[in-house]
Amino acid sequence: MAVKKFITGNFEEEAVLFPAVKKARRSGYKIHDVFTPFPIHGLDHAMGLRDTSLHTAGFIYGITGTSTALGFITWALTIDWQLNFGGKPFFSLPAWIPIMFELTVLFAAVGMVLTFCYLCQLAPFVKKDHFNPRSTDDTFVMVLECTDKTNEAETLAFLQGLGAKDVQVQHKETGWWLGRYDKDTMRFQKKAEVAAH
Amino acid sequence: MSIREQFVATKKYNGIALALMTLGALAIAGLYVTQGSKADEHQQARFWAALLHNSVYFLLVVNAAMFFICATTLAWGGWQMAFRRVPEAISAVVPVIGTIAGVILLVICFGNNHELYHWTDPVKAKTDAAFIWKAGFLNKNFFAGWTVFTIVAWSVLGWKMRQLSRKLDEKPLESNEAAKKYVWNNTVWAAMFIIIFSLTVMSSIPWLWLMSIDAHWFSTMYSWYTFASSFVAGVALITLYVVYLKNNDYLEYTNEEHLHDLGKFMFAFSIFWTYLWFSQFMLIWYSNQPEETIYFIKRVGNTAKDSPYAGIFWLMFIINFLAPLLILMRRSSKRNYSTITFMALLILFGHWLDFYQMIFPGPSPDHVPMILYDFGVALFFVGLIMFVTGKALGRAPLLAKNHPFVKESLIHHT
Amino acid sequence: MALLRYESQVRPPLVEGDKDYHQVTEDICRPVEAKPSRLWWIGFLISAVLLAFGILSVTMEVMYGTGQWNLNRTIGWGWDITNFVWWVGIGHAGTLISAILLLFRQGWRTGVNRAAEAMTIFAVMCAGQFPIWHMGRVWNAFFVLPYPNTRGPLWVNFNSPLLWDVFAISTYFTVSLLFWYSGLLPDLATLRDRAKEKWAKAFYGVAAFGWTGSTKHWQRHEALSLVLAGLSTPLVLSVHTIVSFDFATSVVPGWHTTIFPPYFVAGAIFSGFAMVQTLLVVTRKVLGLEEYITIEHVDVMNKVIVLTGSIVGIAYLTELFMAWYSHVPYEWFAFKENRVNLASPYGWSYWIMMGCNVLSPQIFWFRKMRRNLVVTFFMSILVNIGMWFERFVIIVTSIYRDYLPSAWSTYYKPSIWEVGFYIGTFGLFFTCYFLFSKFFPVIAIAEIKHILKRSGHKYKDGMTEIEHESVEVFADHHGHDHGA
Repeated sequence: MAVKKFITGNFEEEAVLFPAVKKARRSGYKIHDVFTPFPIHGLDHAMGLRDTSLHTAGFIYGITGTSTALGFITWALTIDWQLNFGGKPFFSLPAWIPIMFELTVLFAAVGMVLTFCYLCQLAPFVKKDHFNPRSTDDTFVMVLECTDKTNEAETLAFLQGLGAKDVQVQHKETGWWLGRYDKDTMRFQKKAEVAAH
Repeated sequence: MSIREQFVATKKYNGIALALMTLGALAIAGLYVTQGSKADEHQQARFWAALLHNSVYFLLVVNAAMFFICATTLAWGGWQMAFRRVPEAISAVVPVIGTIAGVILLVICFGNNHELYHWTDPVKAKTDAAFIWKAGFLNKNFFAGWTVFTIVAWSVLGWKMRQLSRKLDEKPLESNEAAKKYVWNNTVWAAMFIIIFSLTVMSSIPWLWLMSIDAHWFSTMYSWYTFASSFVAGVALITLYVVYLKNNDYLEYTNEEHLHDLGKFMFAFSIFWTYLWFSQFMLIWYSNQPEETIYFIKRVGNTAKDSPYAGIFWLMFIINFLAPLLILMRRSSKRNYSTITFMALLILFGHWLDFYQMIFPGPSPDHVPMILYDFGVALFFVGLIMFVTGKALGRAPLLAKNHPFVKESLIHHT
Repeated sequence: MALLRYESQVRPPLVEGDKDYHQVTEDICRPVEAKPSRLWWIGFLISAVLLAFGILSVTMEVMYGTGQWNLNRTIGWGWDITNFVWWVGIGHAGTLISAILLLFRQGWRTGVNRAAEAMTIFAVMCAGQFPIWHMGRVWNAFFVLPYPNTRGPLWVNFNSPLLWDVFAISTYFTVSLLFWYSGLLPDLATLRDRAKEKWAKAFYGVAAFGWTGSTKHWQRHEALSLVLAGLSTPLVLSVHTIVSFDFATSVVPGWHTTIFPPYFVAGAIFSGFAMVQTLLVVTRKVLGLEEYITIEHVDVMNKVIVLTGSIVGIAYLTELFMAWYSHVPYEWFAFKENRVNLASPYGWSYWIMMGCNVLSPQIFWFRKMRRNLVVTFFMSILVNIGMWFERFVIIVTSIYRDYLPSAWSTYYKPSIWEVGFYIGTFGLFFTCYFLFSKFFPVIAIAEIKHILKRSGHKYKDGMTEIEHESVEVFADHHGHDHGA
């Protein structure tokens, strides 16, 4: 995790944002991210992000749940402690379907949410740097990362040319840390970075 | 850009349809000669059971297309507009197969063979305590009256819905107000259809036509189960036609997004069907009361001797549940023409088998009759559906282009 | 990529007024950021008092045993299990709205899903109370879980529908909570970034889990929502199905019928929507959200009510018919003598059920009635009374006269503590709902923004030109956006 230098621009219309994203990519800029207040269909593809595999993970969790239920009940009722319930066979599959189904759903749902939180680094008390608080309100914030080769002035002008407003240079921590939003907390390497600057 | 609005059935298409009908007619004739004309009541019943099975199954399937239209109309759906003329054309088969099925049902009901509907036997009707008790419902007059009413009602209301749709082709709606009125008008007729549908398909008709084959047995779930079975097959048939038309360069505005949603319907309703099947089976298995379990012993019992239909049952179960669950779960398979065609065919066949195992353990409890004949009979109805649907498709433009929701369908995204 | 936001003008707008994204944020956050109104305080305090009475009732029951309830032989399940099924049923609408309507892409769900999901969770919490306290020796409640124990280990009976319930209800609660909360994250982040007070910054900062609105996160969020919706749809069916199994696996006349699973589900959705109406008709007024929960939303939900009410009606008639048709004398007796017969001890409850659930919703065939808020509110209450009686009819009329006529004479009336427990769950439910409506956005902000430019009033007016285009022109302009 490190503090890096970024150039940000705000967009207010999807119709302006899309061509801008495409153009920025084509011109070789490194798009760090685009922050939006709601999901915009197709933006991930426009940015060249690959599809998420969250579904596959969910499928695997689900199968795990099914086999856990089936395996455990089979073991408990046919091997560990056989009991005669209403003259039914010990291996009474129809009666186990409900629990097998419930555990499938439970494992899949819990597993996927945890995976989602892990992948997106979401948890209580997690704090991250924000580029613009309005990105959870009404503004799409495009963030370009500055590399060694980036010409700041040129990039600022480029973003402006794409229709971005309020174009600025920002130094931000890219990772997360434990902290509270009502207090300014120390970021990992902020101090060192600022000093070196 | 101009679009190919008018479907023209090719010679090949009609040829296949007619060939299938001929083959089917031959199979029916063969079945009649070898079974139906014999003196043995069981052999006769086997002939009528084949006709009953196929006519009722395919009637419910084509009628499900109209249910699809009415349900989406009531829900103010827009996505299906791009291919709405397809289910419309399929539903045009209802009066044709309805007439055939009606005749078959009435002949079975009033004929001299009582192996299918035991309750029609005049001796049993007077001696069997259950039949005496049930006579208020299981009697020939009511059976005939309700059957005729049902088929006429489906046909007339379906015709009305199609008329409403075609009305716009010549005369576009002038204003927003007119469009709202039009949608409202559609909603009213669709609601009428749904009401009739719920009083027939979702309740009384499966009891009369199918459940009364096992006249001592009863299950409240039966009709909903029958509905689920025929509806998923109906969606499969719609899908097949959509794919066929796409492959022949029709339906320009229908794309894999629409196919994806049809695939979702097949997926979801396959699971729904399984859910209803499981609920019915599990409850009867669990409480284990002899008057109820008798139905499933013949179909899913433990021994081959007790349940000759177990093989067919499990085959059908794999086709109707496991295959859609595993194959249609993936997004890409719902958007793939080949996979979706394969699945639609499989589902149509699977639910045909489902109806088979609902009907045949009645007249033939000890062994599964030679099923090849039944395939033959099915071909007749398949050919008939092809022929009539082809004609109906050609009668109107393939795009209901003046419908207020059609543009939504064009930019539909799943 | 289709940038075009188009929707037929025949469809009424889902967001009224002249709104842009920022205005949406302002409108929905306002009730959260403002001081609670006097009305809120009154409602909250009343709920808290009811809750307190419920706690007292349960305390009495635990201290002196289930004998404090008027359960008797043969009525071992009375109000408590009736209430349990009733609350679980109500807890179905939320997931239905969020999940099934999401899969069916019904745009109107965005206005009501958040509140409905919250309601679901609170209703399931209330429902869970009943079987737990009904155990009597509630400190042993954990016996229902399959854990290694010193009794063998003796496992729970996995073949019992009551155990399936344990799994179903807890899974349903967990998944609903996850679904609801994952949907809330972006909106909590919105509140966090707007917060001015210290506590609000801290609270929403923790609650929002550090959400930023990154495109990658949204992509995963969308996938998660869709899969959770896909999982919740069969889940919501399974829960009431399993509740119905509690009855239907038995050999009690009136309980053992195969249509119970789907008919219970339909009834659950029916009562759930009625409860959503009850809450939202009030909420939209009190919080000033009439532009987001419009008359259109009320109209559509009333349509769902008349639909599900009629499905339930078909099921009632099917059951009644099949009780006769089955030629099983016990089954027919249970229906004819214990239910339909108005002169029988509980005959009145059957007819209340029929009147409230099947007959009265039929007025929603009329558009005027669907759009009348007073009628809607009144009907929503009536439906829930009817649905309570449905469970009461099923439970009590089936078991108050069992196979032994010598046990017939007892007439079951609840005791004050039984009623108090029920009232207490209302306290719990509304206390939670009041807190929710104060501290959380009752409408999904991000989702409203998502549909704003397609279904917002202002934007729809701008679509007139598109509306007049012919299909061919329209397709040429916009149809090829696909996959680009």
